Amino acid sequence: MGIIGVIQFPGVNCEVETARSIRGLGYRAEVVRWNQSEGLLDRYAGFILPGGFSYQDRVRAGVIAAREPIVETLCEAAERGMPILGICNGAQILVEAGLVPGKTNRVEAALAPNRNGVRTGYSCQWVWLRADGSNSFLANTLTDGAVIPMPMAHAEGRFVSRDPAVFDEFAERGQIPLRYCEPDGTIATEWPSLPNGALQAAAAVSNPAGNVVAMMPHPERAAYLHQVPDWVPVWGDRKRALVNGDPTGLFEAGPGAKILEAFCLAVERGVQ
Amino acid sequence: MIEIPLDISLALGEIEAVKKLLGREPSDVELQIFDVLWSEHCSYKSSKPLLKEHLPVTGPTVVQGPEEDAGILSFTEWQGVHYGVVIGHESHNHPSQILPVEGAATGIGGVVRDVICMGADLIGVLDPLRFGDPYGPNGEECVAIARGVVSGIAQYGNALGVPNLGGDLFFDGSFDKNCLVNVVALGLLECDRIVNSAVPKEAKSEPYVLVLVGKPTDSSGFGGATMASKVFGEDHEEGENRGAVQIPDPFLKRVLNVALREFYDRMDARRIPFGCKDLGAGGISCMASEIAERGGFGIELDLDAAPVAEDLPAHVLAVAETQERYGLAVPGRWADDVLKLFNEEFALPTIYRGARAAVIGRFVNDPVVRISHKGELVCDTTVAAITTGAVADRVEGVFAPKPYVRTLDTPFDPASALRSMLGSVNGASAEPIFRSYDTEVMGNAVVRPGEADAAVILPVHGCPVGLAVTVDGNPWYTDLEPHKGAALAVIEAARNLAAVGATPIGLTDCLNYGSPEDPVVYHQFAAGVRGIAEAASRIGLRDDPKYPIPVVSGNVSFYNQSENGGAVKPSPIIAMVGTIADASHATTLRLKDPGNALYLVGNRYDDLGGSLYDRVVRGGMGGNPPKIRYDEERALIHFVSRFVEEGLVRSAHDISRGGALMAMAEMVIAGDSHFAKRGLRADFAPLGEEIEYERTLFGESGGFLLEIEPDVEERFRERAHERRVALYRVAEVTGQDELTIEGPGLAPVSWRGEEMRTIHQSALAELFPGV
Repeated sequence: MGIIGVIQFPGVNCEVETARSIRGLGYRAEVVRWNQSEGLLDRYAGFILPGGFSYQDRVRAGVIAAREPIVETLCEAAERGMPILGICNGAQILVEAGLVPGKTNRVEAALAPNRNGVRTGYSCQWVWLRADGSNSFLANTLTDGAVIPMPMAHAEGRFVSRDPAVFDEFAERGQIPLRYCEPDGTIATEWPSLPNGALQAAAAVSNPAGNVVAMMPHPERAAYLHQVPDWVPVWGDRKRALVNGDPTGLFEAGPGAKILEAFCLAVERGVQ
Repeated sequence: MIEIPLDISLALGEIEAVKKLLGREPSDVELQIFDVLWSEHCSYKSSKPLLKEHLPVTGPTVVQGPEEDAGILSFTEWQGVHYGVVIGHESHNHPSQILPVEGAATGIGGVVRDVICMGADLIGVLDPLRFGDPYGPNGEECVAIARGVVSGIAQYGNALGVPNLGGDLFFDGSFDKNCLVNVVALGLLECDRIVNSAVPKEAKSEPYVLVLVGKPTDSSGFGGATMASKVFGEDHEEGENRGAVQIPDPFLKRVLNVALREFYDRMDARRIPFGCKDLGAGGISCMASEIAERGGFGIELDLDAAPVAEDLPAHVLAVAETQERYGLAVPGRWADDVLKLFNEEFALPTIYRGARAAVIGRFVNDPVVRISHKGELVCDTTVAAITTGAVADRVEGVFAPKPYVRTLDTPFDPASALRSMLGSVNGASAEPIFRSYDTEVMGNAVVRPGEADAAVILPVHGCPVGLAVTVDGNPWYTDLEPHKGAALAVIEAARNLAAVGATPIGLTDCLNYGSPEDPVVYHQFAAGVRGIAEAASRIGLRDDPKYPIPVVSGNVSFYNQSENGGAVKPSPIIAMVGTIADASHATTLRLKDPGNALYLVGNRYDDLGGSLYDRVVRGGMGGNPPKIRYDEERALIHFVSRFVEEGLVRSAHDISRGGALMAMAEMVIAGDSHFAKRGLRADFAPLGEEIEYERTLFGESGGFLLEIEPDVEERFRERAHERRVALYRVAEVTGQDELTIEGPGLAPVSWRGEEMRTIHQSALAELFPGV
């Protein structure tokens, strides 16, 4: 099967562990520098835009990287139906490039500064996500209503649009595959479960075709069991149970592996 | 050209010494270079002899001691590769007081360069911080500085992509005019791929050149080292020193670090020997002469070849501390390849104005330092002259114990005492601060800041050996007894590692004091160095006790003193790293299962001097900090780290700030009111009939609280008996979100978990609402 390209824009900083987590699932991944766009669509079968601070969030997070020539190639890939996953800063780039929500191929949404009534600015914390009627590749591994814990770390993660009603439409059309929720699956309405005030409690938004997904939380930071804090229900208990077992259990799949696996399966199946 | 005058702080006698060394009048550039090199910051002129005399720097865990930018400790072998942990420790106190955001950010920037230039990948940073009293006479200024510092750490560390693995925090009036911002950086490398800050010996037979890569040199940070070697005057806020603070650029640093990794890999793959040195204090001239000297060569430097942001006079160009720069010693025939890597493949000039790699000099066999600028030879001396260190004779004063003064007349009331401590800035949860830091990036986390007494990561993917790290130091102890306080910082660090099941492999120290010219301060410093050496030796390595815990790197920061604020409380800060064979056994302080027993491990003594209780509840000052009983401490620490490492302890917390009751409260607070309610029901009867509750509950004598499952208890007791460790089964884990205590002569008292949680969070949430 094809190789997954993890795009390294200047200033991103999660490319190494993102590629490592993909390899951990048994797939091939390579880190690709942003200025190596030649032959991209021939060599790679899917792309991940990892987290970080591309171009130091100058002007606005993701906006400069979204104007790099390689993004035009990514737009072509998206149109061909190739799977693309943007994580955190990668999500911001996809939104700034107009690839997500992608209704009109214009920039229709933004990732605005967090607003939660409690803390301002950057927050690094674990959140719960509920899989929700997705038309995207995430449905490859996540059934509706599944709840997965995952860390997030961002200052600008509030999905917004000039017309909030478009997010209601996105939700109806299955373009909000992941929503912040309480540990029991109830959609989050306040801090800390809703960390940033996103419309529809959106943690991820996809394009209408479902092959491009922009998500703010970091699946690669929850790809292995050792990464899960021991207070997280179910997964934390599993981690604790390792005490009497085999130390390689530390590297068993964590909750975020489901997201990455869903992407890899889409890559494996090829353009649909 | 911009006019910037010389900035000389050398004493007259020192200027004479320069003349003598050169055998003539120094040029402006030479004078400026010596000014930086002989500053306290660069030369360690007041501290070097003491450090050399006392600190243990060798042992079975040492790969490389304190010779270069950072020390290297043996971490583990995995799949045929010997991995080392690089550790560096720096202070950025003076800059942070003047420009908190930039000062703190460049503090991280500087120390991570020390680690990266050794060939390592960065794997973590920690930040011990000391701020002034937010509710004192300078409260507003102190809060603004504290917020700025946190913001600077967040901005730089988060963008750089390095996880924050902890820190420690004190607020005290002695830091009102001199905050302390220390930074610890950790890196990982393969021990057969260490990069040295030296021109390789191959330069004897083939020409080597010096490549400068990174940000274009500007005048920022000109005078930085000198500023850090002076007492703040009354008027420093007026901006006289602002230009001496460097400007941070984490974005460029990230790209540079990625590019450097590629550079190291390619050079190693081609088996080309090379050297790398970061640029810090003393800028280009310091870097160039050090990298030459270590290889036994000389350097001819052309300042006109250095990429600049503006046209600068030679004496500024030679020493400015512009951030985000590295120097590389590479064979001349590979120079074009190296430039292409940075300038074309990573496109430095395109993504950052003026940034690039350029050849700025060549190494020569003669041990000379020749610097030319605009066709003129502006410095012409020898490596020996430049690297001749300055030494300053300092006088050590006599220790004067402080009498105990109690300012509050409060009766013994544990119920309200605990609430006051939890809600005090020095007892509160630091979570509102570390939420602003990325603790997850790199994906190596096992135990995060706040979850236990030390952080644990898995730096080698696939390998179960955990790396644990902590930073400690208590200015209240050191203020009362400088020697004991410093020793206690080492012991507390070892305890924190033991609580997660790790055992120390080495430490670094950052020694923050006032002016060494003051005999009282110099005594505090000297006593601190001796205290660290004593504790490192007497605790020793667990698995090889004849060896001390080695001190592989460190930093001395003097002149943390201002004309109107006096000297800071002596602040030796210890960062300690340890290993745990199977990281899945690492414990956290969250209580696990109802029905388990909670043991108090270690005796309680009359140790309330310098305690949080004394400070917050009795308004006390002075008295005796915890007495050190080395035999007991060593047995306790090694016993606990072994038992946890074997996977036999369910939760663990060491007893430190706030004493045993505070530790119990923190274990309950670490739970929650939703998922699995956990609490403690304590009965102190096992401690005897006549219990002095004040010292039992609040004394800070070393010890631990360990949660043990019923079927492990017998083994636990037997093992403790063998090791002569005192144990008291003082509590049981319950299914209620509540802490309850009682005992002979003590009526039951209880605190609801949710209430404690709210109090514990609020003090710092108010001061740090986010960055």
